[in-house]
Amino acid sequence: MKLKAVIDDREQDLNIQIDGGRVRAEIDGRVYDLELREPEPGSYLLFRDTEVHECRVTKTHEGFDVGLHGVNHGVAIVDPKRLRSGTDSDKHHHGLAEIIAPMPGKVVRIHIETGDAVEKGDGIVVVEAMKMQNEMKSPRAGVVVSINVKPGDTVNAGDVLAVVE
Amino acid sequence: MFRKVLIANRGEIALRLIRGCRELGIKAVAIYSEADAESLHVRAADEAVCVGPAASNQSYLNIDAVVTAAKSVNAEAVHPGYGFLAENAGFARAVVDAGLTFIGPSAEAMDLMGSKTSARRVAVESGVPIVPGTVDALVSFDEAQKTAEKFGYPVMLKAAAGGGGKGMRLVSGSDELRSAFETAQTEAAAAFGDSALYLEKAVERPRHIEIQIFADTHGNVVHLGERECSIQRRHQKVIEECPSPINDPDLRRRMGEAAVKIGRTVNYTGAGTVEFLLSDVTGEFYFLEMNTRLQVEHPVTELVTGFDLVREQLFVAAGAQLSFTQEDVRWVGHAIECRIYAEDPANNFFPSPGTITYLREPAGPGVRIDSGVANLSEVSIYYDPMIAKLAVWGRTREEAIERLRRALDEYQVAGITTTLPFFRGVVRDEEFIAGRLDTGFIGRFNERRVVVDPPQEHVDIAAIAAAIHYSRHQQPAFVQPGAQVSDGRWKMAGRVEGLRKWRRS
Repeated sequence: MKLKAVIDDREQDLNIQIDGGRVRAEIDGRVYDLELREPEPGSYLLFRDTEVHECRVTKTHEGFDVGLHGVNHGVAIVDPKRLRSGTDSDKHHHGLAEIIAPMPGKVVRIHIETGDAVEKGDGIVVVEAMKMQNEMKSPRAGVVVSINVKPGDTVNAGDVLAVVE
Repeated sequence: MFRKVLIANRGEIALRLIRGCRELGIKAVAIYSEADAESLHVRAADEAVCVGPAASNQSYLNIDAVVTAAKSVNAEAVHPGYGFLAENAGFARAVVDAGLTFIGPSAEAMDLMGSKTSARRVAVESGVPIVPGTVDALVSFDEAQKTAEKFGYPVMLKAAAGGGGKGMRLVSGSDELRSAFETAQTEAAAAFGDSALYLEKAVERPRHIEIQIFADTHGNVVHLGERECSIQRRHQKVIEECPSPINDPDLRRRMGEAAVKIGRTVNYTGAGTVEFLLSDVTGEFYFLEMNTRLQVEHPVTELVTGFDLVREQLFVAAGAQLSFTQEDVRWVGHAIECRIYAEDPANNFFPSPGTITYLREPAGPGVRIDSGVANLSEVSIYYDPMIAKLAVWGRTREEAIERLRRALDEYQVAGITTTLPFFRGVVRDEEFIAGRLDTGFIGRFNERRVVVDPPQEHVDIAAIAAAIHYSRHQQPAFVQPGAQVSDGRWKMAGRVEGLRKWRRS
């Protein structure tokens, strides 16, 4: 399976074969032969010879969070063979950017209207949780094509608040 | 001793109090809001009473509902924990008026220490130094200038109506006073609708050091030494230690005696904490305020002194004498506590509520966890985002730091963002290791912080693990012709989870 992995904003080619308990992977020319076990869902125990690497993988809005040796890595997986991928970032390539609520909360302000032109980093929606306000910014320049919330709405993590094209 | 106690709180402190009750054979009654019915503190209790909807002002802060709950289960005493109603003298009165025991000081002592001005008056009466400053608001710039010269620079201008750092200016010399005075006035007017300012002598490189005191109803007042709580963000503590890295027995004795004097002046009973600012430059300390309750950070004192503060609180409230005297108090080793918050340290400690999808807490030598959550717990938007406290003990501060480093690396929480990565950085920071702490620590730490890149191998393996997870969860089981059904329940559970995600997206 040929994939692209985006880690720390760097895109790398990742060629991976999973065959039962064996994993062979190549990342930018570095080769890994690993033994794979899954002691519980989302926990991947990878042995590289005798080295133990316990990975805890959680799906996030941006891709995956991988906990390994006391460090959390944000990884996005792009699968060129599918239109769908393990990340929402592919939508950026198609010209659409969704502004997603990172946590449950209440919409307190909306800075834009449908049809407005926005620059990357412009404030779009302000969401309040635990008495703190968080301004959601546009990840790209474009035009606001939809606003799905209004002030006072309660939103859940992952809700699409607005879409910029 | 009481037979039944109502715990008027939630989260980790409710669990701490339930444990204290259990050890003495006391039945513990939890209260909960509608959002908390499945919370860990309810699951751990003997009985539980719903006191209202999720919003805390309609549940945990609703004095009538809490007192009614206590009466309805025939509890004999109420323990308020910290936060919520713990320092509400009206609540203490309501509990006593209902014929129950309030586990804490008298409402009168809470009233005296609750207001900033009356607490300062108590300190002065007790002969304890306070930060020199004007009592009344400054009437003019001329008065500000004269007062500043009297105290000597640096001075601090503060909004009389203020709080939270608004309208606050540090002035290091007379040439800066005029512009600082004007901006502070403008800020104060904008923030509080009141431009009145007062002036205090500035404490340079202030350490936040507090003394734990304990008093019974028989006139015994003792202190259990200090806790250093200088590492703060948004004026809230995040790391606490006992003893302070200064570890000066003479300073401990002087600060301890000052705290005990204040306790005596207000006829204090139970556990209380007297907070001081200590100048790292001059070595002078000043009374700041008193917290008339058990503190979040009490475990570090327990680890180093060996006393169980909740147990003592229960005995004292039941009318017993303190189980120890000042001479019995010994400080052995060093303890450090980290408050684990559901907050994003990379985004200005912004709250990060959600569901904990995975939790593995550290254990082993010298490790104590006071946690309010379990696997699949919901960290809700309604309450304080602190989910747990990790405290470690070592024979020396060095050993404690090594243990803390190990325990923080063991700690795994998924589904929400926590302050764990921040702490992992702090315990490797040279200034922290050297014990050079003051309230400006986090600001400087964030500036000098060097992000150590993990080894390439770990980064690669993380990417491989993500790819494995991706490949497992992309295809629903029913379109996988080669799928084995005899893989065991865990794998099946994983597939079902994958299927659910597929359907939702």
